[in-house]
Amino acid sequence: MLEQIKKNIERIKSKGATYVDTRWYPYEEKNSLVMWNGNLKNNEFSRESGVGIRVLYKGAWGFSASSDLSDLDAIYDKAYDNAKVAAERVTFPVRLAEKDAIIATFDSPNKINPFEVPLSDKVAFMKEVDDMLNKPGIAQRIASLDFVKKQIVLVDSEGTEIEKNITEVFSQMQILGLDEAGESHTRKFTLGREGMMTRGWESIRKDLFAENAERIVSEMGEILVADPCPKDNRSVIILPDMMYLQTHETIGHALELDRILGYELAYAGGSFVTLDDFGSLQYGSPKLNARADATLENSPGSFGYDDDGIECSNNMLIDKGVLVGAITGRQMVEEANAKSGKQIFKESGGTNRATSFYRVPIERMTNINIDPGDDGTLDDIVANTEKGLLVSGEKSWSIGSNREQFHFATESGWLVEDGEVKGMVKNPTYKGDTLKFWNSLSAVGDKSTWKVAYIDNCGKGQPNQVMQLGHGVPVCRFDDVTIGE
Amino acid sequence: MKEKIIQTLRELRNYAVEKNYEVAIFYQEEDSYLMRFANSAISLNTNEKLIRLYIDAFSGNKKASYTLITDINKIDEMKQGVDTVAEMVEHSQPLSYTPTIPVFKGDFIDEEGFDADLAYISNAERLKFFNDASEGMETEDIKLSGIFSNGCNTLATINTKTDHVLYFKLSDAQATVVLSHLKLKWEVSAEQSAQKKFELDPNKLNKDLSFLLDRYQNDEPQQVPLGEYDIVFGPAATADMLSMMGWIGYSGGSMKRGFSFIGEDKVGEKVFSDKFNLYDDPSRLETFPFKQDYSGIERKEFPLFVKGVFQKFVWSQDDADEFGQEPTGHEVMHRSIVLKTGDKDVGTLEELVNMPREKDILYIPFLHYMNIVNPSKGVLTASSRFGALLLKKDGSVVIPYNVRLTQSLLDLFGEKVAWLSKHETIFNTSMSYGIRNPTALVLPTFIKVDGLEISHSNTSY
Repeated sequence: MLEQIKKNIERIKSKGATYVDTRWYPYEEKNSLVMWNGNLKNNEFSRESGVGIRVLYKGAWGFSASSDLSDLDAIYDKAYDNAKVAAERVTFPVRLAEKDAIIATFDSPNKINPFEVPLSDKVAFMKEVDDMLNKPGIAQRIASLDFVKKQIVLVDSEGTEIEKNITEVFSQMQILGLDEAGESHTRKFTLGREGMMTRGWESIRKDLFAENAERIVSEMGEILVADPCPKDNRSVIILPDMMYLQTHETIGHALELDRILGYELAYAGGSFVTLDDFGSLQYGSPKLNARADATLENSPGSFGYDDDGIECSNNMLIDKGVLVGAITGRQMVEEANAKSGKQIFKESGGTNRATSFYRVPIERMTNINIDPGDDGTLDDIVANTEKGLLVSGEKSWSIGSNREQFHFATESGWLVEDGEVKGMVKNPTYKGDTLKFWNSLSAVGDKSTWKVAYIDNCGKGQPNQVMQLGHGVPVCRFDDVTIGE
Repeated sequence: MKEKIIQTLRELRNYAVEKNYEVAIFYQEEDSYLMRFANSAISLNTNEKLIRLYIDAFSGNKKASYTLITDINKIDEMKQGVDTVAEMVEHSQPLSYTPTIPVFKGDFIDEEGFDADLAYISNAERLKFFNDASEGMETEDIKLSGIFSNGCNTLATINTKTDHVLYFKLSDAQATVVLSHLKLKWEVSAEQSAQKKFELDPNKLNKDLSFLLDRYQNDEPQQVPLGEYDIVFGPAATADMLSMMGWIGYSGGSMKRGFSFIGEDKVGEKVFSDKFNLYDDPSRLETFPFKQDYSGIERKEFPLFVKGVFQKFVWSQDDADEFGQEPTGHEVMHRSIVLKTGDKDVGTLEELVNMPREKDILYIPFLHYMNIVNPSKGVLTASSRFGALLLKKDGSVVIPYNVRLTQSLLDLFGEKVAWLSKHETIFNTSMSYGIRNPTALVLPTFIKVDGLEISHSNTSY
């Protein structure tokens, strides 16, 4: 197969293509299980394989993909034809930033292959989780396990030959309760890194789920009898299980360079950030240090090499509050530098990824992290807060089309008064303007508050692509935030 | 190809029957083309040709599923899939109810929605459509974005209860044309949905865009004050709200699981405005309908709300099995939602802008990033996007920076509804998550709802 791929790459190059690459997925397997109120509602296994071919011709991309490899030449020809047509409407010919030709392999860290664990063990685990959640006041119990195992072989016309073997494990448990008025409330626990340095079946730890099941059931009891969240302006203290989403939506997506350059305007939206902003925009308060770190150990956002064949790296996005970087790939850094008339980006940040063999690589978040700060523990931050709302667990999220404003609802919220956590409130929400909000960052928790969250469902692009990534975030406090609307 | 697909499914069925397996097999084949534009160029020109096979195995109360992306000629791989899922189901855990394997009464073949000319429209034609739709509108600052998505979707299913096959084949196209000002960050858009090639009309898109573009270039932009507004929603906004209602409203499964704002006691009760008449109507070809569901139930017009009165919940086969209900023919990839028109004679944006008015009207054609804040109360939140206008009572027009609405569906379609347009629009809501699933709603072109609160107003685009 590799020889056929290389021959075809050379053949298409000889027809005038300036760049050709092939992502061959010998296999991608998924196993998904959902237990709902004790019923194993989903017990699914899937398998797919195929190739995706990208051709650059006269500054335009063509792409073609198929699971039918019986006529590989035809798939290359189709990608080439697609590029030729695209070349009829080019305004800024695609150029790719320089890179080294890399021959390498990458294996994501795992000890126990989840696909070799008997189904009966997985079901037994879910049953145990379901039993942990089956308590008075809990109307719905949902537990899920998702496993992915895939091999990706990337070969390109610049000498790259990379094999990636990736195993992912995602898991969540969620409960729903109905209050006296019949209104539903949810609470969940989503598996993150949790201090583990591998993410095979060994990361599904019963003690961790037991501890968190007890916590969320207890919190649900409080939610059901809580008073409504008041409409007010307060400090908002955000725990990592919500802070990851705040970071994701208002730093991560806003700093994808293809968005900034207008490549997502047909659907997902743009960004309030412009090329002039790099190096000068005060994105947040000086306490804010954010980075795209694809070298973070054991996270879905660390994948060795991106689908352009660039080695993963750790890049500052926001340094002491000032915007200094973006989430970048080979094409976009060239275009951004050319359009701005200066070198904003030295090289690709190695973030181009595709969700499957049949989708084209685009800039995706890696691990978009906020560095820990020096404002102490969660207790320290609460103790230093006069009037606040402490929030945890995402419930809903909605962001403006240029990522300029947002509205979040969270599962849990506690009022903070004079340095103490008071009672829980129902249906907590907060909203804000992105820049004003990040510039109101008044406290960043220390390393003890910093956690790595995993995301398995980040959507972007047309055709749409769902991507896996991570966020390492501490507890953060923001001042003068509108809540309860 | 139809014969080959049916023959393959029957061969797989016979294989399963011989091995005493109980299985249901679902075949999906898509030939998808997407030309994507950004910065006035073709940013991506792509095609996918994929065949997916979904196999469910049953054993008493146990169920397991296996999915593979395959090739029609790989019969051995498919049989291996049947064996795999049959083995999986034995190790599964019994459900508290018995899942139904439907008994099809006969073969059902539906190719009425297929138009080869549309499915296999050429690259050159796609490009010409976009060039025509955007002709004369691009400048140094105003750039073209959008998509032209078209393709063919073939679905077929069989199971071990009978050897009858259900087979559906349809074509579709969706065009979205966006013009955006890269410095000022405003965006206007126009959309079109087609089931047959002759329905494609780039000149109409050009006309719609020209009108909006003229406004956006010549009228004054401003931040609108917070507070209550009479709002006219365009079809994209209405479609989005109705799609959410399908999830947290009249779905029986969602209601039973506590994710609905409509309780079981609301059947026969007035929930919305008496101007609100909502149906699932598979006779409307524009909705890419299923005239039978995958359980073999014939689908007919299904009233959901008549004069605001809630008629009945919809029950998929699995929800019906779990909650002891009769399935309602909703084991489908999408419903054929039709919101009946009203009596207001306003059919175009130009007519809306020129309509005499006693108060300011905020026109919101599109709601971006809608999400559910509180399912029990039907509360949604979203921001305006793509060509909103503030129509002042003095006849002038202001371009509003984007605003946020956080409102309950009970208000959005309740007594605050002032009027619905007597003109109809087809709005395509196809998403490209996962498999191809062409979907469209039939809607009044405009809906006016009075006294809705704007909770956030941008200071710029």
